[in-house]
Amino acid sequence: MSNSNREELQAFSKIVKATQGADFGPALQSSLSRRRFFIAGGATISFGALLAACGGTTDTGIARIGDSPEKTELVDAPVTDIALLRTATSLEHNAIFVYETVAAAGLLSGDAATLAARFLSDHKAHAEATASLTEKLGGKAYNEPNPRLQSIYIEPALRLITGDDASGIPVTEDPIADVLALAYALETIAGSTYQVYVPMLADASLRSAAIGIGEQEARHAAVIGSLLNPSRLVSTFGLSIAAEYQEETDVPAAAYAVPSAFGTKAPVPVVLGAPDESGIRTSLNLETPSLNSMVYEYVDGE
Amino acid sequence: MTASKIISDSPVRPTEADTELLASAQAAALATRDLYQAAVAAGATGDHTATFVSLAAHHDAYAQAISSLIGRAAPQARDDELFSANKSDFESDATTAALAAHTLENSLVAAHTEMIGALEGTEGAALIASMVLIEDLFLVTPEAAQADAQTTTPVA
Repeated sequence: MSNSNREELQAFSKIVKATQGADFGPALQSSLSRRRFFIAGGATISFGALLAACGGTTDTGIARIGDSPEKTELVDAPVTDIALLRTATSLEHNAIFVYETVAAAGLLSGDAATLAARFLSDHKAHAEATASLTEKLGGKAYNEPNPRLQSIYIEPALRLITGDDASGIPVTEDPIADVLALAYALETIAGSTYQVYVPMLADASLRSAAIGIGEQEARHAAVIGSLLNPSRLVSTFGLSIAAEYQEETDVPAAAYAVPSAFGTKAPVPVVLGAPDESGIRTSLNLETPSLNSMVYEYVDGE
Repeated sequence: MTASKIISDSPVRPTEADTELLASAQAAALATRDLYQAAVAAGATGDHTATFVSLAAHHDAYAQAISSLIGRAAPQARDDELFSANKSDFESDATTAALAAHTLENSLVAAHTEMIGALEGTEGAALIASMVLIEDLFLVTPEAAQADAQTTTPVA
């Protein structure tokens, strides 16, 4: 045993010996006498009454301290066919917004600009088709970009490409590649959204119409994928090792025209913007509209 | 917003009529897989072997997925009529094989899109939707681009 440990043990032994046989009863009785107990109790009740008086007057029948806000009834938000179609229309308007912004900024030229103009025209036709279906079902068409997707994906992505002085975001180094990457992700997500909606639509006849539009979005993505990665259009990821063709390279591609065997419901990552001081670029994960991104029937446009 | 409710009251599992449709889809998927494999075996695809091997694997995956959905009702055999009608084109030169692949995939997309509207069960509709979305992409492979130059079928 070391000297320090021995000293600690000795000190502890002294404390034990000093308290052996000691009777703390009288001291405690003295400090918590009946008189003091009533004084403390009275003060607590008075303070509680004061706090309660500061609160609302609604008597819930439950003793409480402080105020509780009035309960707001939550909106009933069923996922109807109308809500699905309104959300689809809003997503088309997100795409329209992107292509129109890119065109106005003159970020694309040549074949890429021609392609973007064609895709813009397709999205306008899709928006008209889904809006028309919404009205046929007795709903009110929603002809605005999806507000949530606009704020969490579209606007941040475009700021990364075009730059934003107020936020200190510089212009990207390769705007054409970034616009194509964003368009690829957006078109993929648009196609996936229609795929996800197929089993959710109550009216089976709407399912063919929905997937018909989704197919066009998927083709848009495939065309952009072929521009981004012309040397390898079909991903061979997941092929069995018995496949006759083996990958020639392990380097993962940014995009494939045909990325998988089945349509994905997974988020689509897209890397955008100028690199920071560490050389790292911002990555956004685009996802299909979740339940809290849907344009329910109670949501009004601007 | 309360926890949202999905209104659809469609059956989830494939109905009897669905099973019949899905069985035919499996036979078509196996025939298409065999056609791509025949094209690769014939060496007709040149630089695009990787694409054809991948597409064969994808169609094989479709057949397996349908099998898992309808179980013993799955035929597990290719549509021989479809295979025989296309075999010689797939085994021909690269351009002919590309044109044949493009035509076949286009007809599969059309058939599956229509099938989605006919299927009552949501599981079957969801599976075919996930297949058709990718079959559409096959139309923009280089072979398809080559084929598009010779047909009037719009790609985008």
